[in-house]
Amino acid sequence: MAQNINPHYASSSNPAKQNEDTIKLKDNHAVSKRLQKELMELMRCADKGISAFPECENLFKWIGTINGPQDTVYAGHKYKLSLEFPNSYPYAPPVVKFLTPCFHPNVDTCGLICLDILKDKWTALYDVRTVLLSIQSLLAEPNTQSPLNQQASYLWSNQPAYKKYLEEFYNKNKDS
Amino acid sequence: MSNKSSELKLYWNKINYAFPILNDTIFSDCTGTEYDEVQQIITGMGIQVKVRDLILIHIEKYLRQHVAPSFWSKFIKVDEEVKGFQLFKSAVNDLYESVSNFSEMLRRLSILNTSCCDNRPIFGEKDVILGFKQLIRATLLSQLPLDYHVIINHFYKMSFNVFDNEYESSDMSEDVMCSGCWNEYSDCNCAYIVKVFHDTNRKLMDLQLLERLTGQVLTNFIQMRIESHIQKLCDGTFDVSHIGFLENWLETTVMSWLTRIYCAGSSKPPPDDKNTQNAIMQFKKKLSYYLYYSYTKLRIEQLFNIIIEYPDSQPAVDDIKLCLDKTDLRSTLCKRLQSALETRLLHPGVNTTDILTAYVSTIRALRHLDSSGVILETVTKPVRSYLRNREDTVRSVVSSLTEEGAGSELAEELAKFAAEVDGENDKDDIWDEWNPDPVDADPKVNSNDRRANDIISMLVNVYGSKELFVNEYRTLLADRLLAHNVINTEKEIRYLELLKLKFGESQLHFCEVMLKDISDSKRINALIQQDKMFEIASKNFTSNAMILSAQFWPPFKDENLELPEEIKQHFEAYTKSYEALKGNRTLSWKPHLGYVSIKIEIGSKNLDLVVSPFNATLIMHFQNKPEWTLDELHQVMKVPVTVLRRKITYWQSMGLISEKCTDTYVLVDDSDANKSNVATNQVQEMICEDDETESVMASAHDQREGELQVFWSYIVGMLTNLDSLPLDRIHQMLKMFASQAPGTECSLQELRQFLDTKVRTHQLILQGGMYKLPKS
Repeated sequence: MAQNINPHYASSSNPAKQNEDTIKLKDNHAVSKRLQKELMELMRCADKGISAFPECENLFKWIGTINGPQDTVYAGHKYKLSLEFPNSYPYAPPVVKFLTPCFHPNVDTCGLICLDILKDKWTALYDVRTVLLSIQSLLAEPNTQSPLNQQASYLWSNQPAYKKYLEEFYNKNKDS
Repeated sequence: MSNKSSELKLYWNKINYAFPILNDTIFSDCTGTEYDEVQQIITGMGIQVKVRDLILIHIEKYLRQHVAPSFWSKFIKVDEEVKGFQLFKSAVNDLYESVSNFSEMLRRLSILNTSCCDNRPIFGEKDVILGFKQLIRATLLSQLPLDYHVIINHFYKMSFNVFDNEYESSDMSEDVMCSGCWNEYSDCNCAYIVKVFHDTNRKLMDLQLLERLTGQVLTNFIQMRIESHIQKLCDGTFDVSHIGFLENWLETTVMSWLTRIYCAGSSKPPPDDKNTQNAIMQFKKKLSYYLYYSYTKLRIEQLFNIIIEYPDSQPAVDDIKLCLDKTDLRSTLCKRLQSALETRLLHPGVNTTDILTAYVSTIRALRHLDSSGVILETVTKPVRSYLRNREDTVRSVVSSLTEEGAGSELAEELAKFAAEVDGENDKDDIWDEWNPDPVDADPKVNSNDRRANDIISMLVNVYGSKELFVNEYRTLLADRLLAHNVINTEKEIRYLELLKLKFGESQLHFCEVMLKDISDSKRINALIQQDKMFEIASKNFTSNAMILSAQFWPPFKDENLELPEEIKQHFEAYTKSYEALKGNRTLSWKPHLGYVSIKIEIGSKNLDLVVSPFNATLIMHFQNKPEWTLDELHQVMKVPVTVLRRKITYWQSMGLISEKCTDTYVLVDDSDANKSNVATNQVQEMICEDDETESVMASAHDQREGELQVFWSYIVGMLTNLDSLPLDRIHQMLKMFASQAPGTECSLQELRQFLDTKVRTHQLILQGGMYKLPKS
C-alpha cells in the first residue's frame, strides 16, 4: 500500500470485506495444505486401481482414474473422473463426475454420481483416496433402490445380459 | 578633380607600400618614420577601420592560399623515418619563417589598430598579434590533410629513440650502430636530432600549434611505446613485481621527454608557467592511467597461468591487486578469467584432480587478490557447476583430503584448519579494518560468509551441502575399511577427528560407528572362535567375519552369489553362535564381499591365493565336477551368465580352467597345467591382485537415483491421470506438488536423465516430446 495514503481513510475502507478476504485467503491456504498432504499420501501408498493428480497448476481441480473392480462386469475398463474441491473443503464434499461415459445404475448420462458420502453422509474424515475407493466399490455393488439410470438398474439383475450391453455401450462410445 | 584622384592614387600607393599584403606580397622596406606618414594619411582621411579590415581580409586570403598549402604539402606519406623527420622539420621551419616575415607588417597593423577606436576584436582576440596567430591556427587546421600524422609520428619516434637510448641502453656501447639514430657511431646523428627536435618544438610552442598538431599523435605514440615496453618487460614472468619498474620508467624516460617537448629543451618546466605545468600534469595522469590499464590488461590475459603458478606468481597477483584499484577492469577480469577457465579447464579432457588443483589455487590466488571474495565467487561459479556434474568430484576431494604425502595440499589444509580452530582470534579486534563490499557484490550473500570461507568449505560447497560430501566420505571410508585385511584404524580415526572439527560431530557420527564396528568385529570374532558349538562346524576351515551395523553403513551394491553348501552351513553356524552371544541380533551375510585364502592342489602343482569369494566359489564347483557349462554354473551360483563369462577369465589366465568349446569350461588336468603354468607364471603375480578394485558401495550417483525414485510415484500418478505430458510440464508439476518430499531439488537436466533411464527400461514411452506410461 502506498505510504502517503491517509491511514484513517485507508483503514476505514470497507473493513468488513477486507476481513472476509483474509479469512478466505487463510482458508484457502489451509485447504491447499490439506490437498497437498492428501496428494503426498496418495502417491506414497499407490493403491492398485485408483489414482489421482491435480489437472494443472490448480490444486483444486484433480483428475482421478479408477480401474473397474476385478470379478465384475467392469473389470478391465478404466474410468476417468474429475474432482473439484470447494474452498470449504474438507467440510464440504468435492464435486465428483465421471469423465468417461459410464453405464451404471447410480451414474447418469452426464456422469453425475449418486453416492451418499458425496452428499449428506460426507464428513471431513473422508479424503480423495476413500472417495475413489468408494466409487470403485460402487461400481461393483450398485444401489438399485435409488437409480439414476433406470435401464441399467433394470438390467443389473441379469448379469450376462448386462455385460453384453456394457460391451456394446463402450464399443459405441469408442466409435463416437 | 583629376588632382584629387591622383592624390588619392598616391595615398593608396603609400598604403600599399606600408601593407604589401594588399598586393599579395609580404616584403616591404617601409621604415618606422615612413609609416608614421602613412598612418597620418589614413587617420586624416578617417578610413582606419576600412583599411584595417581590408588588410585583414588580404592576410586571411594569403594564409589560405599560400602559407597553409605549402605547409601541408610536406605532409606526405613516407616510409623512411629519416625522411619524415626532415620533412616535418622543414615544414615547421618554413612555417615559422613565413610567419616571422609577417612581423613587421603586423607591428604596423597594430599601430593602425590602436588608432581605430571601435574596439572590435580581431579574430576573437584584442591584440593583433594574438589574433594573427589564431588566424594561422584556424587556417592551418581547416586544411588538415588525412595523413598528417605520418611524418609527425616519424619525427617523434626518432627523437624518442635517441632519448630512450640516452637513458637506458648505455650498456650497448659495444654495438657498431648507435641504437638512437641507427647510424654507425662514426657519424651518429643523435646530437643533431636532439637539437632539431628541441628547435622544432620551441617553434611549434611559439606558434601555439604544439598541442593541436601533435597532441593526439604523441598520445598514440606514447601509448604504443608503453604497450610494447610492458609486453617486452612482462612476458611470461610472474615472479617479479613489475609495477615499480614501470612507474619509474614512465617517470624518468617518458615524462622527462615530454617535459622537454613542452618546455623547449629544458628538463624542468619553468616554475612560473602554470599552463605548461598543468598540461604536463594532465598528460602524466593520462599516461599513468594508461600504463596501469595496459599492464593490468596484459596480466588479465595471463591470469590463468598466473593462477596455476600461484603462489610462485604472487608478485604478479600483487601487481594486479594494486592496479585494479586504479583502473576499472574488475568486470573485464571476471569475464576473461571465467572464459579462460572454461576453455582451458572445464572440458572432458582434464582430470578431475587437475581441475580441483586448479580450483584450489584459484581460490588462493583470488583470495589474495580480493579479500572480499566477490571476484572469486563470480569467477568460480562455472567451475563449481561443472564439478557438480563430474561424478568423481567428491571422491577426488575426499581422497585428496585423506591422502598423505606429496600433492595432498588439501590434507595440509585440513590440518591447518584444525590448528586454527584453537587459536581463533577475536573478531572484534579488527573492526577498524572493516571494508565495505565492492559494488558488484551480490547483496543477498552475507559478506562475512564470503570472507570466512576456507578452501575446504569452498570445495564442499561445490555440492551445496555437507551432507552429500559426508556421505561420499562414508562410502570411501567403507571401501577402504573393507578393502584391506589389516586396517590402520588409528590413521582413519585421526582423519575422522580432523573432519569432525570441520563438519561437526553429528554429521560424522555414522563414520564413527563404522570404525567402531571394525574393532568390535575383531573382538566378537575372537569370542565366537572360542565357542564350542562353532568349533565343531568350523573344523574344515577358519573364518573371520566383519560385522557391520546395517543402519550406519552406506548401502552396498546388490550382487547375488549362491555359495557352496558347506560354506553356507559354516556361515549358519557362525550366525547361530553370534545370535547366542548377542541376544536379539542376527547376521545377514553379504557373500560377495570379503576375501578368501585358498590353497589349490592340482597334481603336483600347489597354489596359494587370495581371491574374491566369487572366484573361490567358482573354482570350488570345479573341485567336484571338472566340466561345467555356463548355464549350469548360472544355475548353482545364481549369477548372470555375462558376469560369469567375464569373471571366469581370471581362472583361465591362471591356467586352471580352459574353454573346451563355446560356453563349456573344463578343469585343466595335471599335464596341461604344468605346460600352461610356465607361460602364465609371470602374469600370475599381477592378476593375483584380483580385478575387484571397483567400489563395492553404491556410489553417490546411485544414491541420488534412489532419491529421485521418490518422484517416480508422482510421475506415475501424473501420467495415469493426465495421459501424456512434456518434460517441462512434469518438472513444473513436481516443483509444485512434490516439493515437500525429502531430498528433492531436481534440475530439469537431472529429471530428463532420470526419465530417459525409465524410457530405456520400458517404464515410460517418449513420443513426440511427450512422456506417457506404456499400456499395461
